[in-house]
Amino acid sequence: MQTERLFDRIESIQFKGITKKYGEGFAVKELDLEIIGGELLILIGPSGSGKTTTLRMINRMIEQDEGSVTINGIDTKDADPVRLRRNIGYVIQNIGLFPHMTIRENIGLVPKIEKQNKKDIEERVKTLLDFVSLPPEMFMNRYPKQLSGGQQQRVGLARAMAMDPPLFLMDEPFGALDPILRKQLQKEFLKIKNEINRTIVFVTHDIEEALVLGDRIAIMDQGELVQVGPPEELIFNPANELVADIVDNQRKFKHMDTLKVKDLMSPFEDKYVLEAKMEACDAVDEMTDRDLETAFVFEGDELLGQVEIVDLMKCRDRGEKLSELAKPIKTFQPMDSVAFALSEMKNSGEYLAIVMNSKHPVGILVSDEVLLKLI
Amino acid sequence: MVVLETVLDATWEHIILVYTTLFVSILISIPLAFGALYSKKLEFLIMKFANLVQAVPSFAVVAIMVPFLGIGFTPALVAIMLRALLPIIKNTYIGLSNVDPALIDYAEGVGLSQWQIHRHIRLPNAYPAMFAGIKFAGILANSIAVLTAFIGSGGLGEIIFQGLIGYNTNTLLAGAIPAIMLAILIDTSFSILEKKVTPGHSSK
Repeated sequence: MQTERLFDRIESIQFKGITKKYGEGFAVKELDLEIIGGELLILIGPSGSGKTTTLRMINRMIEQDEGSVTINGIDTKDADPVRLRRNIGYVIQNIGLFPHMTIRENIGLVPKIEKQNKKDIEERVKTLLDFVSLPPEMFMNRYPKQLSGGQQQRVGLARAMAMDPPLFLMDEPFGALDPILRKQLQKEFLKIKNEINRTIVFVTHDIEEALVLGDRIAIMDQGELVQVGPPEELIFNPANELVADIVDNQRKFKHMDTLKVKDLMSPFEDKYVLEAKMEACDAVDEMTDRDLETAFVFEGDELLGQVEIVDLMKCRDRGEKLSELAKPIKTFQPMDSVAFALSEMKNSGEYLAIVMNSKHPVGILVSDEVLLKLI
Repeated sequence: MVVLETVLDATWEHIILVYTTLFVSILISIPLAFGALYSKKLEFLIMKFANLVQAVPSFAVVAIMVPFLGIGFTPALVAIMLRALLPIIKNTYIGLSNVDPALIDYAEGVGLSQWQIHRHIRLPNAYPAMFAGIKFAGILANSIAVLTAFIGSGGLGEIIFQGLIGYNTNTLLAGAIPAIMLAILIDTSFSILEKKVTPGHSSK
């Protein structure tokens, strides 16, 4: 049985007078919100603000007590939940890959249940893995635990696209990753987002992520919608203290002039170091084990540059050495000003730089798009 | 003195008795374990009964069959099943219920039905625990099948008891050694089956 599609594209999703109670308290209170087709809407707020509850009412994982959710004018209450959900891509925080299935089976599960033929599923899985920069022949038959966190997250994304849904629901998809990895996946996700051009509802608690990814941001607090609008509007016209507080990002940019690189950098760890004489294919395995997307190549004490796992996987069979593949990377001193460093990085279009104290690496500087916008 | 043919016949009877019992036990256990997912009452009953039956001496379970079911293959099968059933149900239930809730949540979120979640997510995740239960039940069944010779089930127990009664070490060993080897066979056969159905858990 192939489930007939409920909708091929999203015109709009409307929340009207939505209330959801938990015992005495409100999870969501009289929420009115419109999500416009094709946009990426961020739901953000402190924990308990009702953002996840709101997200889960779209695919009826949670049913509202009052009000209605309509997609393209169809009340979700009138839609069969199975049909509704098969039409929506879903990504959750802990990824939720099935440990007993290979990557191929994980991505192909819903198509298989939908009785698509084996060949089509196989083709689809390959296309999707390519799309998220994982060479299919290398990853299709692996199990989730044989992948790094970043790679698993990519598979999670590919899996959500399996049925080519017009709508994606993402519940803190990068929440469990470390900051540097998160930055890299966000960057890649932004690329993917622009390519697929679908409607996405995205829950996060990380305001930087929200400002970077969101077309519009809805700020929630204690079950109520406080303000919704594009990032600039929230920054320049915050509706109240809370919004100003959230958007203000720990007042970082008030001290732009006095901030030094050392205040913003992440500590450098040995795990980021790869030897120049290492071959590309060994480096891929090594980086998978260490859960890295980017590593820095050193010859003895000398920094040669950076390598990204995505690039290494492409030249896997040629047995090249990292010394030939390393791309140049900017370096700064701990006492350089942040404004200087960020504008340098902006000019060269890089988002990573190494902080060197005379000859030794001491930190990694990740460009901060929020700050970049203000330079 | 025992003839080889007698030993082979007894071994065959023993194998049939043990594997039939295990097969029937598995067939009964799986629906009950799924049932326990839905009913707290059933879960409580199974867990209580499991611990209770564990405490009763095996020989008493065998003996108690006679007044109710008489002697022969069927009462022996029931007696063994009473002991073998519960490790299987208990472990299967634990395996089914210990699936990461995030996985179930995700499966519901992409529109899998309850049945599909059982079939594709819960059951495969329960295999390791389930097979541990089956192997344990298999070893248990093998040893109780020796005792059931007393109530006319045939099998290797008959030869062992002959040897005991007649103080005949040769006869005794002719029954005991195949019984020990059967224990190893049972464990190995289910280990192989387990590897076949759960590829994910054996690689790395």
